[in-house]
Amino acid sequence: MDFALLRDAFWGLTFDGLALGAIYALISLGYTLVYGVLRLINFAHSEVFMIGTFSALVASGIMGVKVEDDPRTGWKMILTLLVCLIAAMLASAITAVLVEIIAYRRLRQRGATKLATLISAIGVSISLVEAFRIITHSLPREFPRIMDKTFLLSYAGADIRNDKVIVIVAAGLMMFALERFISKSRYGKGIRAVSMDENTATLMGVNINKVITVTFLAGGLMAGAAAFFYILVYENTSFKVGFFLGISAFTAAVLGGIGNLKGALFGGFVLGVLETYTSAVFGTAWKAVISFSILVLVLLIKPTGLFGESIQQARV
Amino acid sequence: MSEKLLELKNVTMKFGGVTALNEVNLHVNKGEIAALIGPNGAGKTTVFNVVTGVYKPTSGEVNFVGQSVVGKKRYQVTKIGIARTFQNIRLFGESTALENVVTGADVHSKSGVIGSIFGTPRSRREEKAALERGMELLAFMGLKHRAGQLGKNLPYGDQRRLEIARALATNPQLLLLDEPAAGFNPAEKVALAATIRKIRDAGYTVLLIEHDMSLIMDISDRVAVLDFGQKIADDVPKVVQNDPRVIEAYLGAPADAS
Amino acid sequence: MADKKFRYNVRDHAAEYWERSPKWRRVCLSISFIAFFYALPFLNNPLINTPGSDFQSVLFYPVGMYVLMAIGLNIVVGKSGLLDLGYVAFFAIGAYTMAILGTHTGLNFWEILPIGIALAMFSGALLGTPTLRLRGDYLAIVTLGFGEIVRIVAVNIEAIGGPRGIAGIPTPPDFFNAKFTILDPKPYYWVLLTFTLLIVWMVRRMAARRPGRAWDAIRQDDDVAQLMGVNTLKYKVWAFVLGAAVAGAGGVLYASQILSIVPDQFNLNVSILILACVVFGGIGNLWGVILGATLLAFTPERIRFLSQPRILVFGIALVVMMNLRPDGILPKKKREHFDPNWHTVEESGEGEIK
Repeated sequence: MDFALLRDAFWGLTFDGLALGAIYALISLGYTLVYGVLRLINFAHSEVFMIGTFSALVASGIMGVKVEDDPRTGWKMILTLLVCLIAAMLASAITAVLVEIIAYRRLRQRGATKLATLISAIGVSISLVEAFRIITHSLPREFPRIMDKTFLLSYAGADIRNDKVIVIVAAGLMMFALERFISKSRYGKGIRAVSMDENTATLMGVNINKVITVTFLAGGLMAGAAAFFYILVYENTSFKVGFFLGISAFTAAVLGGIGNLKGALFGGFVLGVLETYTSAVFGTAWKAVISFSILVLVLLIKPTGLFGESIQQARV
Repeated sequence: MSEKLLELKNVTMKFGGVTALNEVNLHVNKGEIAALIGPNGAGKTTVFNVVTGVYKPTSGEVNFVGQSVVGKKRYQVTKIGIARTFQNIRLFGESTALENVVTGADVHSKSGVIGSIFGTPRSRREEKAALERGMELLAFMGLKHRAGQLGKNLPYGDQRRLEIARALATNPQLLLLDEPAAGFNPAEKVALAATIRKIRDAGYTVLLIEHDMSLIMDISDRVAVLDFGQKIADDVPKVVQNDPRVIEAYLGAPADAS
Repeated sequence: MADKKFRYNVRDHAAEYWERSPKWRRVCLSISFIAFFYALPFLNNPLINTPGSDFQSVLFYPVGMYVLMAIGLNIVVGKSGLLDLGYVAFFAIGAYTMAILGTHTGLNFWEILPIGIALAMFSGALLGTPTLRLRGDYLAIVTLGFGEIVRIVAVNIEAIGGPRGIAGIPTPPDFFNAKFTILDPKPYYWVLLTFTLLIVWMVRRMAARRPGRAWDAIRQDDDVAQLMGVNTLKYKVWAFVLGAAVAGAGGVLYASQILSIVPDQFNLNVSILILACVVFGGIGNLWGVILGATLLAFTPERIRFLSQPRILVFGIALVVMMNLRPDGILPKKKREHFDPNWHTVEESGEGEIK
């Protein structure tokens, strides 16, 4: 246990935590959106993220970048980064929608039990992980350094790296865009209506299937962006990258209050920072244990999360 | 003076910004058939939920046979003698009619997992007793021929009767019926009225929520009226029927109110 | 009933035959059935031979072990409707108990077995009591976490072997003339079979009585079950604890056969595999689960090319089963049955063996 490290590198760790938290926040938006409309934990969301990372990888290959190359500069760099970002977002979005159609739609329309839907979700998740394990021969893959990582400045002992700044800023922009979408657009209103009361929403003319598809699409886009940011910062991915990130992102969603967008953002950043601190103190091996413990504690003490509504109450 | 079996004193129930019950005072006397009526959304089912421990009241007392039931776990409330049926039928559809009822009868068995594995004398005795009580109640509600059928396959009327049988199986002192006549035709409602009287005559006390006024007036000893979470009347049926506040609550204020 | 179509339903016909049989016939059938399973290792039929692995070894693991674990998980997921995604943790606890006590103390398998079961049960109670109040999806995630945490703890604590695990686990002592060695899986298989039969007997007893009714009620409508007087938390914890006991026992036996264990073999995939067995056989349906587990465990061994993408196949099977055939592979019960001796009132196909 190394508290000294936490104390000395506090601001640096906080900054790194915020960057990680931005990624968590984007992923947790997907969990919270789907939970809001379907009351279901989308177990396959972690694989939506994973597929996004591999798409960015493939896109970088198509753009001709190899791992051993020097980082690009200028317009070439920006173009390459944008292509990878868009590739990740598209792939994740498409995967998310396909998951909904294949794993959930039929069960939802048949009024299947919660248990059945959860099992279907697990099945999809496992299948995707295994499929990619077989494709990648269980080996992790490296992502080339497209952008030169430089330290922009040093503040209170923290080294502010440019890629992490980009992640935090870009993630913030995306969350803002999503928030605008949810509050202003027609589909956004539909999503909010369905999360509040599905039956009434249908009676009011909301097309449930379309709304649900859009929900998965939005969550997928966010996860795809998170995937790109992840691979930009950490420069590697593997078939199992989704699992622990997914659990952390879900914990973030619960922490903030599942079903609540602002909660997901807040939870994401808080968890990112907390995890970074505890990694410094206890070592990275115990990171997953710490996250899980936080999850269990929140669920036991305040299952509605910091901002959420109570959906635990029985309806009789 | 009849003994007060159930008593609600100044019960208030708030959900966030919504006040579902506002300082409600109600009581049910032992051996009577009491009714709780009011327009939709008045809070009637909320009263049932508070009494059975589904919700904890924001403030106020709920006493049953003198002791408070606030804060008790739901199955404990059933154990001390309050049982209920539901507005939307909530049977165990995948279980047989007999299994549904015996599940209720199990509440008074003391043996559990260990007893069932080892077949202890007590567990065998209790199992037999529970099954007997189950069959008795099915017969009492006219459902003996349905004993082996799945709950979800029963016709609607039988499902409602089965819910009542299941509730009675827990051997309650107070039976709460939530809209037991919903979806019944007039003939079935007459039969239901007779059944409720039969239940009371067998020694149970009944509190029912209903919308069918003729049924209420026919069998109730007393009627309480809720509107917007507040009790606006509480008397014998004849008096309540003619109470202008009750009429206004259901029909709205007269058009020429000045 | 006018709406019943005529279709040859194996299950109903088998159930009918069973119920029509006098007691002596039932006893004979049961005994031959059981004897068949004890004799199974001696079967040498090209139809069921497993290329690449020894048939007798396959009978023990994965077939026998999956069947046992599926029966255990069925109590939790199938009967009670609690989605446990961390079941492998209890298996691991049993295995590690055998490994640690076997290599550090003089206790033998038979002495360690009750300890392993007790530890697994204790963990089940410890995990279950706070978390079984949670809604289904949250319970799923929390149990998933528990399974992973057990594995991570095992990997990171050097005292119990760390990532390299524990080797040199002793075999059980000779039982009369049966020798337990790594060369001959038969005695292990027979112990496993005996244990499985015992568990099946116990589960059927519980299912026909109060616990079974309580679990069915909990699965179908937890809130209403409570209002009908069922102490749902108590029965949910019991289901958890019993399931854990079964997995723990399996783990102890497994460790004593395989003689060395590593933490990474107790991973999420195993939990999912066992869940797939339960689902495949029909959630809650005991015979279906046994059949499903047998098929799912045996098929990849028999058809080698299925072995590598085994987990992928299982995952797809989960999705397909839930969407197309949520009741499992056995045909649905069509008949409802009422026994005038009402102490055996049950659905056809689940008749009591008195």
